[in-house]
Amino acid sequence: MDELEQIRERKRQEIAASSGADWPSEPVNVNDGNINDFIKRYETVLVDCWAPWCGPCRMLAPVIDALAKDMQGKVAFAKLNTDENQKTAMRYTIEAIPTLLVFKDGELADRWVGARPKEDLARRLQAML
Amino acid sequence: MNMDADVAIIGLGPAGLQAAIHAARKKVKVVALGKSASSALNKAEVENYFGITSAKGEDLLRIGREQAQRFGASIVEEDVIKLVKDGDAFRIVTETDLEVQARAVVLAMGIRRVKLNVPGEKEFLGRGVSYCASCDGGFFRGRAVAVIGEESEAAESAILLSEYASHVYWIHRGLKVSPQMLERAASTKIEMVPGDPAKILGEASVTALDLKDGRRLDVQGVFIALGAKGSMELALELGILPDPSGKISVDEDCRTEMEMVYACGDVTGMPWQLARAVGQGAVAGDNAAKAVRQGKS
Repeated sequence: MDELEQIRERKRQEIAASSGADWPSEPVNVNDGNINDFIKRYETVLVDCWAPWCGPCRMLAPVIDALAKDMQGKVAFAKLNTDENQKTAMRYTIEAIPTLLVFKDGELADRWVGARPKEDLARRLQAML
Repeated sequence: MNMDADVAIIGLGPAGLQAAIHAARKKVKVVALGKSASSALNKAEVENYFGITSAKGEDLLRIGREQAQRFGASIVEEDVIKLVKDGDAFRIVTETDLEVQARAVVLAMGIRRVKLNVPGEKEFLGRGVSYCASCDGGFFRGRAVAVIGEESEAAESAILLSEYASHVYWIHRGLKVSPQMLERAASTKIEMVPGDPAKILGEASVTALDLKDGRRLDVQGVFIALGAKGSMELALELGILPDPSGKISVDEDCRTEMEMVYACGDVTGMPWQLARAVGQGAVAGDNAAKAVRQGKS
């Protein structure tokens, strides 16, 4: 690859990153094995810790889906089933669900407990960008 | 004991009682369940309702119950602890194990006031403090927990938690639960502790609960379970999805997303006012009865 082609490739990657093309538009299911990679991959990450039997988690799910779409390119959304991924649940001392963990630059920056309206979560996330 | 109904109304506040009055006037069999004393109206003074310059909420509720009965509705002053769809009907179980089979259901339980308002409650939410034993009980396997509340939700929570926790303290200021629930609780390892919670303590998470009389209980979890199951919890049991604030969506006829399930009053949105609750109760009761009658013909 000549120098000009390298510059072109770099520019293509920069444009793709800035347009959010690499960012998921829906929540990605993560587990004990791959959550760390996901957290490190994006600048701002929200992990929805949930379980299938939890009513408030079901109430929150459509909100997380909608936010993942609205905030694509700004926040990457993931879902962690605490029943199947107890190692991560213990690591972050999850004692209530739903709990939303927010990571900035790979570090836990905040945690919000309970189902919340979309506008409230959008405002909180916007403040963290 | 079993009962059959065309329309079962869950909630004996203004929305539920108005729904009972309107449904019963349509000559269908109506059973209305709940406790008027749990309604927000029970302790209110009413002065902004059309035609009434001043009235005690308690008196309006008593008259409303009498009116509903006069039109033929049966009133069951018991908390509903279970609501399931059973074929074309709905099965309702109360705190005394009474079962009601109904063809239509009106959810009129209002909004649950769940907060205890003690220091530490907000600070340790999600780090030991929970309002949902069925959601969070599993995180307290082998640990000591306290359940706070006097009514059916506290009993249900304590019984459920006794399956997970190493020890369950049930803190209460005078129990208001059925003998059946009390008997079920007595058969578990629950320790009843009459008392008044003062403060939830901890560092990274909850470590203890202080009572106003100076006693300290070493617990890692505090489950606040005031009152009875609300409309939101009952809707979830049926598979209806309220929004994250707990509001149940209804159309102009007070129909929810599930056929033959109606909702009215505070649980469908603001303003949380008597006038709105009564108006919606009339619409819900009327339409639930109509739907049953149309099904019959």
